[in-house]
Amino acid sequence: MTQEEFAVTCKELIKSYGHGETKITALRGVNLEVRSGEMMMLAGPSGCGKTTLISVIASILNQDNGECKVYGHDLNHMSKTERIAFRSKNIGFVFQAFNLFPSLTAAENVAIPLVIGGMDIKEATQKGCELLNEMGLGDRVSDVPADLSGGQQQRVAIARAMIHGPRLIVCDEPTSALDGHTGQKIMELIKKVALDETRAIIVVTHDSRIFSFADRIAKMEDGQILKVVNSYEEFED
Amino acid sequence: MFYIAFRMLVGDRGKFLGIILGLSFASLIMTQQPGVFVGIMTRAYSFITDLGLPDIWVMEPTVQYIDDIKPMPDTYLYRVASVEGVAWAKPLYKGTIQARLHNGTFQTCNLIGLDDATLIGAPAVMIEGKIENLRRTDGIIVNQEGALDKLANPPKYPRGPKIPLKVGQEIELNNHRAVVVGIAQTTRTFQSQPVVYTTYSNATLFTPPQLNLLSFVLVKAKPGQNLKALCDRIFRRTGLRAYTKEDFKSLTVNYYLKYTGIPINFGVSVLLGFLVGAAIAGQTFYNFTLENLRYFGVLKAMGTSEKTLLLMIIFQALIISFIGYGIGVGCTGIFDLLTQNTMLAFRFPWQLFIFSIFGIFIISSFAALISIRKVITLEPAIVFKS
Ligand SMILES: Nc1ncnc2c1ncn2[C@@H]1O[C@H](COP(=O)(O)OP(=O)(O)OP(=O)(O)O)[C@@H](O)[C@H]1O
Ligand SMILES: [Mg+2]
Repeated sequence: MTQEEFAVTCKELIKSYGHGETKITALRGVNLEVRSGEMMMLAGPSGCGKTTLISVIASILNQDNGECKVYGHDLNHMSKTERIAFRSKNIGFVFQAFNLFPSLTAAENVAIPLVIGGMDIKEATQKGCELLNEMGLGDRVSDVPADLSGGQQQRVAIARAMIHGPRLIVCDEPTSALDGHTGQKIMELIKKVALDETRAIIVVTHDSRIFSFADRIAKMEDGQILKVVNSYEEFED
Repeated sequence: MFYIAFRMLVGDRGKFLGIILGLSFASLIMTQQPGVFVGIMTRAYSFITDLGLPDIWVMEPTVQYIDDIKPMPDTYLYRVASVEGVAWAKPLYKGTIQARLHNGTFQTCNLIGLDDATLIGAPAVMIEGKIENLRRTDGIIVNQEGALDKLANPPKYPRGPKIPLKVGQEIELNNHRAVVVGIAQTTRTFQSQPVVYTTYSNATLFTPPQLNLLSFVLVKAKPGQNLKALCDRIFRRTGLRAYTKEDFKSLTVNYYLKYTGIPINFGVSVLLGFLVGAAIAGQTFYNFTLENLRYFGVLKAMGTSEKTLLLMIIFQALIISFIGYGIGVGCTGIFDLLTQNTMLAFRFPWQLFIFSIFGIFIISSFAALISIRKVITLEPAIVFKS
């Protein structure tokens, strides 16, 4: 497999917060490869550095040392403008707290990445409606987030993460604010509508009940990837 | 993106109204208080304004403002009249006199003595009677406010309404009989005393015997004269100070600015209003940004450039400024309408518009600036915090 076919390659990533006595090293030499077309789950105890790692991968945080490439692009070596432009085109986000704009309708929320990309708000909202339709939320497009259930809000958020066709989607604990059943549904949906050959998805999770949706699982502990396995059974060993 | 910025701003009605209210209040204070101030200041020289005809006022050199009367010998009138470039020069008496009312009490009045022949300086609006009637023996014209209140006849029964002074009635001015021949409308001045108009020669009779009576010489320039040059010429020829009408107004206003606490008091209240308005508006807008920091973070993470974020915040600040300013100045305008023809002095010149727009601009830029700083330095990684 060549470099180009990897969605993400991390080599000896190091990242710490703060200085001096309060310094916390969150990543202590992370090595990880994520292939295009796969769903990679990132699991490990609280505080082990999962969120920090996907923040660096999504280039919203700069590493102190080491290398991180997304589809062959080293974002750390791009100019600020290039990096922002790259992010707006190629990366989608799903958050634990949904982070939907409370004063925008569902369709408008979904439209945001297109608007950031320069599309007119009307056209973008129209596209948002179409995508929500496909995801079974056609009757809720004009509702504001407060009128939607948690599961519905997360579906809107997933639509928002993929509407602009990004090649990498990062999800931080997408199911932990939802009940078990809804969580399963959400993962099914992500796998069904968001995953394809040209795209990779990284899901950070605590929730072992959704491990079955993963193509591979990276086990993280204390700022390092211990192992990358193919199934839940191997993970537990 | 401006649409999103707009929705973010108005999404929470309560907060939005809070910001608008702060700015409205600030712009109200910034226009209303100075408006009253300007109004009071124009009142200081409304006597000069009302006297439309003359171009130049000539007076004793040490006079500092319109009510600072330093009498001159009558002969000065002819010396001024003979200065080259002067079309005509007329005398004006301005002073105070004691009026004895029907119930026996005394009331101090302003007495204005007008040139017998031309009656130049007479009030422009007569409510009753004719100005020419002043030439009748002992004739006086009284201003309306005085006639209705301070010079009015006592009520028919206790606590009843006062009965206005009427044309044909007599009052006593410094032990001289005077007959009311007209009621005139005059612009309010600082002084609340009634104003009594009479002829210059009658003024000589009414007032206690004194050496000099001439308060001002009113001068009309010949056509084509440079007024400032004429003032200089009058000074050189007569030793008397001559001011154009505008200069005399400025002299009067400057006197009040310098020797009374009025500007300081207004200045403080304007400044306080400005600060309170700025604090309220700045604080609420900054709070708004803080509360939306997560969403600015989401936009940032998703690849919104700093320039766009900056424009969004400026756009939001502009919206609230416009609406706040509109409401504030609108209220001031309503205040203006409501206070016309009342005791309250209020003027709203265009300079105030500029001043208040500038003030609001400073407030909202300040609010925007601290907000922008917060958003620009924001780590987009906060979006993952739950
Ligand atoms: N902004 C920050 N400043 C200082 N320390 C931080 C910051 N963000 C994270 N940390 C620390 O870095 C370490 C790794 O944090 P991180 O959020 O990546 O862990 P995590 O695996 O996502 O944890 P969780 O499962 O609780 O979300 C933790 O010890 C955390 O306290
Ligand atoms: Mg985390």
